[in-house]
Amino acid sequence: MRRIITRNWISGITKKLQWFKRGAWGIWFIDPPKDVSLDGHRIDSVIQYTDTVITIYFGIVVLALIYFIFKYRTRPGHKAVYDKGNSKKHVSISVVMGLLVFFSIDVVIESMSFRDLKEAFWNFPKGDDVIRIEVMPQQFKWNFRYPGDDERFGPESFSDMNSDEVWDEDESFIDANGNGYWDPSDDIVLMSEMHIPVNRPVVIQIAPYDVIHSFFLPNFRVKIDATPGMVNAMWFQAKETGVFEIACAELCGNSHYMMKGKLVVESEEDYNKWLRSQEIEGPRDDWYDPDYGLFHWGWEWKEVI
Amino acid sequence: MTHKEQSFISKYIFSTDHKVIGKQFLWMGLFFLLLGGFQALLIRWQLGHPEQQVPIWLFGSYLFEDGMMTSDHYNQLITMHGTIMIFWAITPLLIGAFGNFVIPLQIGAPDMVFPKLNMFSFWTFFLSGVVLVASYFLPGGTAAAGWTSYPPLSTPVGGIPGLGQVFWTLSITLMGAATMMGAINYITTIIRSRAPGMGYFKMPLTIWGLFLTSILNAIFVPVIAAGLILLLLDNVLGTNFFIAGGTASIAGGDPLLYQHVFWIFGHPEVYILILPAWGIVSDLLSVFSRKPAFGYKVTAICMCVIVALSTVVWGHHMYTTGMSPLLGKAFMFLTLLISIPSSIFFLNWLGTLWRGNLKFEPPMLFAIAVLWVFGLGGLTGLYNATVTSDIYLHDTMFVVGHFHYTMAASVLLGGLAAIYFWFPKMFGKSMNPLLGKLHFWASFIPLNLVFFNMMVMGYAGHHRRIFNPMEYEFLKPLAGLNEFVTTMAIILGAAQFIFVFNFIYSMAKGKKAEVNPWKAATLEWTVEAPIPHGNFAAVPTVYNGPHEYSHPGVSDRDWIAQSEPLPAEG
Repeated sequence: MRRIITRNWISGITKKLQWFKRGAWGIWFIDPPKDVSLDGHRIDSVIQYTDTVITIYFGIVVLALIYFIFKYRTRPGHKAVYDKGNSKKHVSISVVMGLLVFFSIDVVIESMSFRDLKEAFWNFPKGDDVIRIEVMPQQFKWNFRYPGDDERFGPESFSDMNSDEVWDEDESFIDANGNGYWDPSDDIVLMSEMHIPVNRPVVIQIAPYDVIHSFFLPNFRVKIDATPGMVNAMWFQAKETGVFEIACAELCGNSHYMMKGKLVVESEEDYNKWLRSQEIEGPRDDWYDPDYGLFHWGWEWKEVI
Repeated sequence: MTHKEQSFISKYIFSTDHKVIGKQFLWMGLFFLLLGGFQALLIRWQLGHPEQQVPIWLFGSYLFEDGMMTSDHYNQLITMHGTIMIFWAITPLLIGAFGNFVIPLQIGAPDMVFPKLNMFSFWTFFLSGVVLVASYFLPGGTAAAGWTSYPPLSTPVGGIPGLGQVFWTLSITLMGAATMMGAINYITTIIRSRAPGMGYFKMPLTIWGLFLTSILNAIFVPVIAAGLILLLLDNVLGTNFFIAGGTASIAGGDPLLYQHVFWIFGHPEVYILILPAWGIVSDLLSVFSRKPAFGYKVTAICMCVIVALSTVVWGHHMYTTGMSPLLGKAFMFLTLLISIPSSIFFLNWLGTLWRGNLKFEPPMLFAIAVLWVFGLGGLTGLYNATVTSDIYLHDTMFVVGHFHYTMAASVLLGGLAAIYFWFPKMFGKSMNPLLGKLHFWASFIPLNLVFFNMMVMGYAGHHRRIFNPMEYEFLKPLAGLNEFVTTMAIILGAAQFIFVFNFIYSMAKGKKAEVNPWKAATLEWTVEAPIPHGNFAAVPTVYNGPHEYSHPGVSDRDWIAQSEPLPAEG
């Protein structure tokens, strides 16, 4: 018995030492979350390039600083050189070095970034292949909407989501102006869990119910803000299956830290199976309440971009 | 230029003497610095030891029920920590205290141009502090929507109870009014009251920094004031300027507008805070290298260029708001342009040290530390300026680490350098240099371990403003690092007691300071402390630039004051 206690005590110390080591050398031990996306490596490589170059420049600065501190420290007999550094030579050297920094770091990362934005992040995929999902965050959960059989999100537009009209099943296909609605009941509405198939581009459109949230996928290196009154869009593609976390990156209230979601990346087969199971049960489960406004969110998919 | 005898109240409380007002700002700034620092420790405690009682030496059981912090407390803490540090600690320390104390003395003026406005500025500022502190006694607690207070979270629909947000908005608006008064005063004084002979390019760089800061303040504080008044209306009158979506009572508000207004002010605000520190550091490096500031004119011009650029880059705070690609690229390009003037004047700082005669007094140590932290902070800004890397790093601890390096560390260390440097002139006593050096090392090392590791955590995906990072699987590996950072933050906090002790002890029992203990060339060192109301017995005439050190024409000493004519070149 005594022995076990001693061993625990020792392992406690070892653990403490370990965290100290990990802490002190955090940068050498901690990697970003595993990148499972098609384009995440682009962001990683911009970061790595910047890491490398600024380490070199900062290293030079630190070496110069240490050298100056040692070489020019005050001591008997040592005098400063009266030099205002205003000569053309000095000014042009510092301007040239400034430009060197600009062209070796800024211009490179800028062109990398522009290229990646053009080729990937702001180049939205089109075509039948694309999975479309609408996301509506609210304090403090994520709502997801899939278009269902009719391939349309409906029926209400975002602006009158708060209108007083209560959903009436009998009149569900005609609004006050005599315009037809499409049946929303085939939409698949989920809370806090999002399913996507692997290796297919996913486009999300996002608008929150109440305050600003931010849809952050650490494993995909992307995030997009959700601002009330506007619909934002983002796309990503998974290259591995698994379950990943969705985080809210914008302070949204006292339970902001618990506002997480689950992103399930499945094989095409599993995804279709899951989708079918959702369609059969549909939103008219026992939890579906037609009077509950939050089931009526959704907006017509915006094909611009 | 003598002033008649004054009563205690008009001499020390409602004083119009810039030196007294400067000290009033100093006391207030130091008080709020301690308060903000204490809040930082509470925040760090929660992140390093989630779901554990806040210990008694952090007043855990007095502040929270059962000593357990809730997420409401946490959000209030992060909001007030940011707000207090930016607006009530750094602003009064560097702009209020040293702006007031140093500007008239360094330009050879008897006082500010508008002494009464100066007094009103302080008392408005004091009132704003009272309103802010009063919000702690509200039933719902203080504001809790972050120091940026993005609506709709900061409006009634955001679900944060109580009047905290109203008090916050009011106090910042009042603070803005005080800052405006100060800015107008500083600009006018610097333009109108320079001693004969002091051209713009003979002003110390400290004055350049404060001058540019005041210009930015005068232009951009009204912008945030306008935004905050709209936010106030949303909060108290039920308007919908910044409310939209499902909770809006009428259509038409735009939360994004607030972000634009906020950052049009907010980005220049970064430079408002850092420019005085840059100026002070540029001067101090020259004083303690016994050598003229390298490329003085170029440094001044670079600061002007940065000020101009800082007004057109606010969009880089908003890359993830769904900004139009064209705007995103434009903001990125403009932001990256700042690195040209920044690297030029950074090189000038190194150039000042080059071939100097470096004296490592406490102000010099802190000034060199600013070089270090600003170098790191500036370079890590590149990640945030780049749209793609910012998509990942935005709203993570990386941003927190980055702006603590640029804003907190450089401004704080710059401010401490300024306190160590001007203390003899302000109080007529010298501070203990040994304790000063101890304070330096005990602050500088843990400070780096705190802020650098914040960036490491941000790179690992740790997002900002979360009460308990252990909620997320992907943040579990960071538990050890979080705990380590907390320990370092506590050491950093404890080290400040060395400073507090040194400050108070030196003021009471310190050795009487010489007129010019650092052998500096600027005008404030030509008058003996305590400086009378009215400053100079006779208006000085300026002959030289501010950094005439080790001039070959002077043989008996290595400096020559700005008001002494140089010996004829031979």
